[in-house]
Amino acid sequence: MSAVIAVPQVGLIGQSTVRRDGVAKVTGQFAYGVDVRLPGMLHAKIRRSDIPHGLLRRVDVSRALALPGVRAVITGDELPEYRASRYIRDELILAKGSVRYKGEPIAVVAADDPEIAAEAVRLIDVEYEPLPVLSDPEQAAQPGAPLIHPEWQTYWANPVLRRDGNILNHTTLLRGDVEEAFAQARHVFEDEYDTQIVHQASLEGHVAIASVDLEGRVHVVSSHQFPYGLRQDIADILHLPLGRIHVTASGLGGGFGAKLYASVEPLCVLLAERTGRPVKIELSREEELAATSPRMAARVHLRTGVDSDGHLLVRQGVIYYDAGAYSLSSPGTSAVGTLMLPGPYRWQALQIDSYSVYTNKTNCGSYRAPGGPQATFAGESQIDRIARELGFDPIEFRDRNAVENGDLGPAGQVLTGVSLRKTLQVAKERSRWPQAQDRPSRPGVRRGRGVACNWWTTTSGASAAVIKLNDDGSIVLSVGATEIGTGAVSAGLVQICAHEMGVAVESVQIVSADTDATPYDFGAQGSRTTFQNGQAIIRAARDLRQQIFALVAPGLDCETDELEVHDGHVYRRDGTGRAVPLAEVARLGQTVGGLLGRGSFTAPPTPYDPSTVKGHTYPAFNSPSFHTHVAEVEVDTETGEVTLTGYHVAQDVGFALNPLYAAGQVTGGATQGIGYALMEEVQYRDGTVLNPNFTDYKLPTIRDVPTIDVALVEEPSEAGPYGMKGVGEPAVVAPAAAIANAVYDAVGVRIRSLPITAEKVLQALRSRELEG
Amino acid sequence: MSEQRLHLRVNGQAYELTIPADRFLLDVLRDDLELLGTKEACDEGECGACTVLVDGRAVDSCIFLALQADGADVRTVEGLAVAGQLDPLQRAFIDEGAVQCGYCTAGMLMSAKALLDENPDPDESQIRAALEGNLCRCTGYDAIIRAVKAASGGRS
Ligand code: FES
Ligand code: FES
Repeated sequence: MSAVIAVPQVGLIGQSTVRRDGVAKVTGQFAYGVDVRLPGMLHAKIRRSDIPHGLLRRVDVSRALALPGVRAVITGDELPEYRASRYIRDELILAKGSVRYKGEPIAVVAADDPEIAAEAVRLIDVEYEPLPVLSDPEQAAQPGAPLIHPEWQTYWANPVLRRDGNILNHTTLLRGDVEEAFAQARHVFEDEYDTQIVHQASLEGHVAIASVDLEGRVHVVSSHQFPYGLRQDIADILHLPLGRIHVTASGLGGGFGAKLYASVEPLCVLLAERTGRPVKIELSREEELAATSPRMAARVHLRTGVDSDGHLLVRQGVIYYDAGAYSLSSPGTSAVGTLMLPGPYRWQALQIDSYSVYTNKTNCGSYRAPGGPQATFAGESQIDRIARELGFDPIEFRDRNAVENGDLGPAGQVLTGVSLRKTLQVAKERSRWPQAQDRPSRPGVRRGRGVACNWWTTTSGASAAVIKLNDDGSIVLSVGATEIGTGAVSAGLVQICAHEMGVAVESVQIVSADTDATPYDFGAQGSRTTFQNGQAIIRAARDLRQQIFALVAPGLDCETDELEVHDGHVYRRDGTGRAVPLAEVARLGQTVGGLLGRGSFTAPPTPYDPSTVKGHTYPAFNSPSFHTHVAEVEVDTETGEVTLTGYHVAQDVGFALNPLYAAGQVTGGATQGIGYALMEEVQYRDGTVLNPNFTDYKLPTIRDVPTIDVALVEEPSEAGPYGMKGVGEPAVVAPAAAIANAVYDAVGVRIRSLPITAEKVLQALRSRELEG
Repeated sequence: MSEQRLHLRVNGQAYELTIPADRFLLDVLRDDLELLGTKEACDEGECGACTVLVDGRAVDSCIFLALQADGADVRTVEGLAVAGQLDPLQRAFIDEGAVQCGYCTAGMLMSAKALLDENPDPDESQIRAALEGNLCRCTGYDAIIRAVKAASGGRS
């Protein structure tokens, strides 16, 4: 069931038009990265570290090289300093000297088929001298902890970061007089929370194919969310001229942030250069779960002061995010935690210190709403505790403290388009809060209901679009954007283009995600694709319409501003004169070299107060959206088992361009949040992943998730197309807190560590009994 | 490993191949027959992305030995549409938003097809039971349930 609290619209926007890639996907014709096969292609496999931390004493590839069918073996020792990562250049693409996580690439083999490559990998002998393993980010951040990167000061790093030993970045947000506010507080609450590492687990993992042509140009096809970023990464890492690299995104079988940085691609390029043949690397599920970039774990220490009327005054928090062995996006992601820990509430004073810290685990990275779910689990669990202990209804308490238009965000941004109260109201109605709940389904089971709120950003970054009018009046839209699966490109952008050019969606063809053929785009990340590209398309369409009108106006005896285009024809607004088909305009356009509209867009930066932050790479949320989730659970008091019986989301999307696909993002995001809350965890013991497979890493199945009730709330943004806000990420943020709060409502215990397993609930119930 | 003859029909077309006895049906489909619509996501029978029908029964082709399909009728996602006409399930998956990245879709469709062939009018709990072995990381399943309902005979 889903509902749109709708603003009526005319034309194609606001309608659930059908995605362009749908038929290819249901008939098995859609080509993903795994389906790309080039003539003469070799298959590569990676030899990975067997231990989580140690010195590399010897890497002997002689037996691998001798294996028939092996075409090349490359080790770190033969390479120059090929270093990766955008914030800190701390990662060699193949280890030399030492390894810092179990699964770190040491060598790579290209062979005639995947089996030979796998056999060759087994034949590579590696000797190590083990070093102590650091697993806990809070301990690793302490002065005197052994250094995972003893040479950390020699790395190039983004100058904004505040680094120190194992600390990749220490972000501080400080606003108001914290001591004074705590002194005023009538009640002070103090808690500690822990969240786990979870994996994006896109069903298609990382896969790339590289080839080198006769002119020495490098062509990379990758299941990747950000082709332009990947091109830059490859150029930076391998010291290649940018123009020699051509990147296209294949079809993607999901990404969720896992495919934003170079991963296997530079290795493919090196092997393709070495062998003169196309080379493909496709990671196995085990490699994915144990050695690619999951969501960071975090520990949160949180202290909040409240006045005697139930007004939040002050929050002081420290977050230790577990970055793993190398930086990837962690230094930026940990900074985002400082905006999420306060939540969408009014504060007199805030002090948030957020650290990303090296440990001997796989490099963590970006996963849907990076930095948000960890902080919100802590922040919203504690808000619930405060409300309950002070005798407030949890929705009423949030409403009482909610931000409004004109209030300041954590780092001093002036908030606009605020809709938290609206989402609280809608969620309340739809969950029939606080009426009596249904009776438990069986004896021994207690019912409960919990609420959680959050806000989130719409990431900016440039996008550009080119729209070409074909001779038959049809249209080719060219954008650098990548269809990650949401429908943003294959439905949303097509829809905007058709709407703006006054043609049917079927008349628009789309070319995308190709660094040679399509203009720049900042990638399928940060809930930005439709927002940024949509504005670029609106501008390109305006440009093309102007050119069209200039050609038509003389024949219709009017000025260009007296014309409009719809139904594939140009008309005079006053209804006089004939309708000129776009095909006719296109043929006229040939005489001036064809008609091509261009547009680009970057959302203007959101002003904030720089004096409030240090070490911050993301101090303001652009066109923020607001969210309320309500979870309904049953808890079995004998087993501790938690069953989700109902789930409601009220999500502010600004404007629902395509309600079907917008709701699809909400449902999908909430489901991943439910997995985070109840079952998912990459389990580490002493640097080893214990569950690198889908048997032991539990994803939510169709049996685990109830029907999710989605309400799309529309509070327009100023910068987005038609008032849109980013939609894709935020629904993953609130479920863990909403469910933890529902568990408390049901059985009166607070679970402060994720995932909320039956064992933890049972243990909490038992220790409460003991305390009696 | 010994090589063996394998006879099978895939989407109505007869094939005869010589394969190692330990080769899985998924690899025969993707690598030998170049039918790339069937996907692999776990390679151990846990995700259902590789689901195909063997004599009408939904199986995980990544752990199903090809020789077990000797003489059988295999149906893959490429065989769902008949003469260019989408199967009602395919149409419903598109219309209901049950396809996002689409990587699970081939397996979902084949599991759903097996269900509807056996029970043309399943209720929601029957749909959930039939698709329990198929993971989808994108949609959150609601749209998939709606699509199967929409494609089924009734409107239960
Ligand atoms: S690939 Fe066969 S069940 Fe996952
Ligand atoms: S649509 Fe992506 S996994 Fe199901």
